[in-house]
Amino acid sequence: MQWLDHPRVVRACQVSLGVLFAAAALAKLGDLGSFATQVHNYRIVPVATENLLALTLPWIELIAALALILNVRARAGAVVITAMLAVFTVGVIVAMSRGLNFECGCFGTFDATRVGLGKVAQNLAMLALGGVAARRPR
Amino acid sequence: MDQRDFRGTGQPTDEGITRGVVTIVVVGVALGVAFNWLGLASRPAWGLPWIGEDKLAALESLEEIVPAVETPAPTGVYGQIDDPMAVGLGADVGELPEIPELDRPVEIHLEAVKQLFDAGAAVIIDAREREEFDAGHIAGALSMPFDEVTAEPERMENLSTGGKPIVAYCGGGTCEVSLGLAWELIAAGKTRVVVYVGGFSEWSEAGYPVEDGPSSGS
Repeated sequence: MQWLDHPRVVRACQVSLGVLFAAAALAKLGDLGSFATQVHNYRIVPVATENLLALTLPWIELIAALALILNVRARAGAVVITAMLAVFTVGVIVAMSRGLNFECGCFGTFDATRVGLGKVAQNLAMLALGGVAARRPR
Repeated sequence: MDQRDFRGTGQPTDEGITRGVVTIVVVGVALGVAFNWLGLASRPAWGLPWIGEDKLAALESLEEIVPAVETPAPTGVYGQIDDPMAVGLGADVGELPEIPELDRPVEIHLEAVKQLFDAGAAVIIDAREREEFDAGHIAGALSMPFDEVTAEPERMENLSTGGKPIVAYCGGGTCEVSLGLAWELIAAGKTRVVVYVGGFSEWSEAGYPVEDGPSSGS
């Protein structure tokens, strides 16, 4: 699997993941109130911290996405995004296991995908992308 | 040691990653806090309260309301539901459920809704999108898509219930728009508002009357 370390492969994964997450972050930043509601829907974090999470998370996404796109600390950006993806995926699975059914809020209000297996599959694909994007090119 | 990889890729080595991760998180949090601070300082404010006071207040007031509802419970069917924003009305109702006058929504289950439906004793409102409503809804339900009515609150104020309680529902599971609509209806001055949690999926699976096409009323 040496080709996974090829600089162009790594770079392509970084840019595509960066664009995806920049779009996701901007969509959330466009309507933070709705995003805070979506965070509440997951019922995973304490109510008192939901707004703080909703306020900061999209910015972390955006900075990490810019790092990937601009190739400045790109591997760190990939690590941040991959870690976030892993947490989001667990969130979706927990929500599913509790029988909750709501819009995932992954792309703010632009994406009406509801939590479910489709969303988990989508996240796993992006996780694979993140795994390559975080590799050291050689 | 230089953090840069010298193969011309501009990618930092493993040692530089931890520092990069911390930088990204710190800068992101700082920007989020600063952006919201600017929003809260603006008039009108577009920032969010740092802590959802409304949700916390609902949690506190729930502790006062739930026992108050449970004690008189004429049918023994009241209880707390999963959402801190509401109190609940349980299943297994023997007689026509009495919907109390409350300043918050009450949860209601399939059999109780069916009884209200059979008796024509409630105004049933579908909170889903219009296309979902047109594709199938509880027979006789009115369509009030949550997104539409929040933009036109006068539609809720003008809703005539004839003294009947309002049953709001959406797709089932714990889809949130019915609960959201219930809160909006209460804000618009309605007091007997219940949320049918099972929603359209449970209703249609039970084989109870459904119809499709656009709403005749509201």
